[in-house]
Amino acid sequence: MAAERRASVTWNGDLMSGSGTIDEVGSGAFGPLDVSWAARSEETSGGKTSPEELIAAAHASCFSMALSLGLAKAGTPPERLRTSAVVTFVPGTGITKSALTVRGNVPGLDAVGFREAAEEAKKGCPVSQALAGVPEITLDAELDA
Amino acid sequence: MPRIVRTADVAWEGSLSRGSGVAKAGTGAFELSVDIPSRISDAAVKTSPEELLAAAHATCYVTSLAGEIARAGGTVERIDLTCTVTMDEVGEKGHLIVASEIDARARAEGIDQAGLERAAQVADEGCPFSTLIRASASVSVRAVLESN
Repeated sequence: MAAERRASVTWNGDLMSGSGTIDEVGSGAFGPLDVSWAARSEETSGGKTSPEELIAAAHASCFSMALSLGLAKAGTPPERLRTSAVVTFVPGTGITKSALTVRGNVPGLDAVGFREAAEEAKKGCPVSQALAGVPEITLDAELDA
Repeated sequence: MPRIVRTADVAWEGSLSRGSGVAKAGTGAFELSVDIPSRISDAAVKTSPEELLAAAHATCYVTSLAGEIARAGGTVERIDLTCTVTMDEVGEKGHLIVASEIDARARAEGIDQAGLERAAQVADEGCPFSTLIRASASVSVRAVLESN
């Protein structure tokens, strides 16, 4: 079964001094969100989002769902997973890295089992597969202390 | 060139089918709920990884297109663009992002439809996200010049 998801953006003016807005998304869950080249390419974004931040959110949420599924299938469903994705963008080169960090509260599972399940989720989740061209996708997976 | 780092955090609670998560942007620009029904059903009310990818591709591509129109000698007044991302089940590979379609309407001086189409093609080749997502998805781009 195919699922289609849609987003609409408006851009005004040239690249360097212009700016854009994510006007709406199909679900209605967010928008309008402002974007600009400066917010994308400078270290401080002034509170604006960017393609890389949206990719980080997509990767972290996709990975979390895949890991939740894998853990439940193995008979050890998680109580809570906290994931962060850090995406690195080098202007002129592209997206060079996505670093996933996950901390899980998973009753009945040891650290080795959790790392294995996380590794599978990293490999198998649809966003990881769509980002297979990123030179470096890293994973740091530990159970909550 | 500087390395630009952007972060998002997700907290997920519970099982896949009944659980849900919250995705927070490092910049503070958004804080969004995600869950499985909104990812796979037609009546999505929450966002999903695929919708976030559609927003990422739309914003990445629109900056490339604005740059390429200027490089071709045109002046951008306004670009309206919609990106549609499709996830599908592909045999033994399971669920994959299989397509991303971009539909752009541009208002610009100093460029004609043929020039815009060339700029749209070059922008696709130059957009880092178009390049990446081709690992699993087809990317198609349509660009139409609108009169002022």
